[in-house]
Amino acid sequence: MAEKMTAGAFVFESPASSPVGSVLYDEHLKLTDKSHIAEFAGYLMPLWYSSIAEEHSAVRQRAGIFDCTHMGALEVVGPNAESFLDAVTTNNVRTLQVGSAQYSYLLDAAGNVLDDIIIYRREKEKFMVVVNASNEPKAKAYLAALQAGKTKIDLAKPDRKIKTAPVRDMRDTKTGPDCRVDIAIQGPSSLDVLCKLADASVGQQLKNLKSFTFCQAKLANIDCIISRTGYTGAKVCFELFVHPKDAAKLWQKLIDAGALPCGLGARDSLRVEAGLPLYGHELAGPYNISPFEAGYGWAVKLDKEFFIGKAAMEKISKTCKMKVARLELSGEKGVRPVRQNDAVICGGVCAGWVLSSATAGSRQIAIVYMDKDKATEGNSVDVYYLARSESQKNKGRKQAVQQGERINGDITGKVVSRFEKF
Amino acid sequence: MVPKGLLYTKDHEWAKIEGDIVIIGITDHAQNQLGELTFVELPDVGKEVKQKGELAVVESSKAASDVYSPVTGKVIEVNKALQTKPEIVNDECYGTGWICKIRVTDKATTENLMDAAQYEEYLKGL
Repeated sequence: MAEKMTAGAFVFESPASSPVGSVLYDEHLKLTDKSHIAEFAGYLMPLWYSSIAEEHSAVRQRAGIFDCTHMGALEVVGPNAESFLDAVTTNNVRTLQVGSAQYSYLLDAAGNVLDDIIIYRREKEKFMVVVNASNEPKAKAYLAALQAGKTKIDLAKPDRKIKTAPVRDMRDTKTGPDCRVDIAIQGPSSLDVLCKLADASVGQQLKNLKSFTFCQAKLANIDCIISRTGYTGAKVCFELFVHPKDAAKLWQKLIDAGALPCGLGARDSLRVEAGLPLYGHELAGPYNISPFEAGYGWAVKLDKEFFIGKAAMEKISKTCKMKVARLELSGEKGVRPVRQNDAVICGGVCAGWVLSSATAGSRQIAIVYMDKDKATEGNSVDVYYLARSESQKNKGRKQAVQQGERINGDITGKVVSRFEKF
Repeated sequence: MVPKGLLYTKDHEWAKIEGDIVIIGITDHAQNQLGELTFVELPDVGKEVKQKGELAVVESSKAASDVYSPVTGKVIEVNKALQTKPEIVNDECYGTGWICKIRVTDKATTENLMDAAQYEEYLKGL
């Protein structure tokens, strides 16, 4: 387990504020009971409309839509935009083509992961950076601190300077016609749904879109940035970036064309089933998990001359002993579900912990943080359920298990491939 | 959905009094909050419980929640069907989705529960 690196860390305290409805809040109230709406990252968001299982299966078999209007979208523009982003993110921005997107990380000088992001190159000198809703205030504050020279860049070379570029919040209504919010459509028939709303030439354009590329086109006469990206593991997946004033109209058009609205519950169970990381769980979080442990070392380009946090990444890439792995366990009704922090047991010894879990059909998928040497695909591993209630605690069930502790597991599963596509 | 004739707790359990036997379950509001149940930990028959004491654990894929006893007494029967079909609680929380039966040993604990109208009022205030 990596200690949080404090020297040179960017420290940000999010100001407390009461939650606000997302751009699509009124649409959610038309579709579900208020009791299914909860606060997430400062927004009131639907947990589910009908049921998590039904929405999960709709995305695997047909098409589901997700309110992602809470996701942050920042624009970085100007002659220094490329070099600024290349210095503050881990992937190679210089090789990113116009019309393509890349997965990357925002690190501080100490190497702590501040967020995982997707960078879209819209023009040679214009980028859109999509950040997690929960990290948006921090990401904005960090970029502003870099522009103002108020945070560390390189611990070994304190006088290092980077070129900065203007950053604009694309969700801010002051941004005018360029304002954008995200609606995702995911699943095998999502292309068919979009084609119903597109003219023939746009339909052809969408069919030709490869993974991690995007275009700008009209759907139902609404101007959209349409990207072939997603967070569900679906092979056919799109995210639609639209002006907030058009978001409700597009949402309804997608429903009319056959897509099922899906809440945060299915969004989580789908990403867990696919093995995709969630910031705070499989990245950073209590175990301070690095991109290398998470299975995304490829997005950290150690051959770049410089990026913020590079020295720490070089060290971690060589020394990490743990990794994020995906387990499959029985998920039949009546089987107690595994949960976050339950212990992963190999040969009667604790080798790690559950980070996230989900039920998908008759199986459970757990994403775990475990001893790298024991995480070979096909290996049988057990999970020990931590106490969930007072009475279980009183019966001797533990509330935490330390690595190396001898203990018997309660349910047996096996290590499966790190990721799965559907 | 709050059926008349049952008694309710603030923790969203219901109790149906039949002489000195009380049938216990969780309310529609509770099952709706939890989502599809995947696991129910039933109490042992013979277990003695106090009012508001831990009785069972219901788990969905998203949450684990304790079920507290509405009354003081001794568990005399549990709904074994829930071991393999916990989703019955979602489908029929006031009927075949009952959790257990308790023989009341402290009659006073059946007299401080909410009736349907009071529980409905309580739900409105949440």
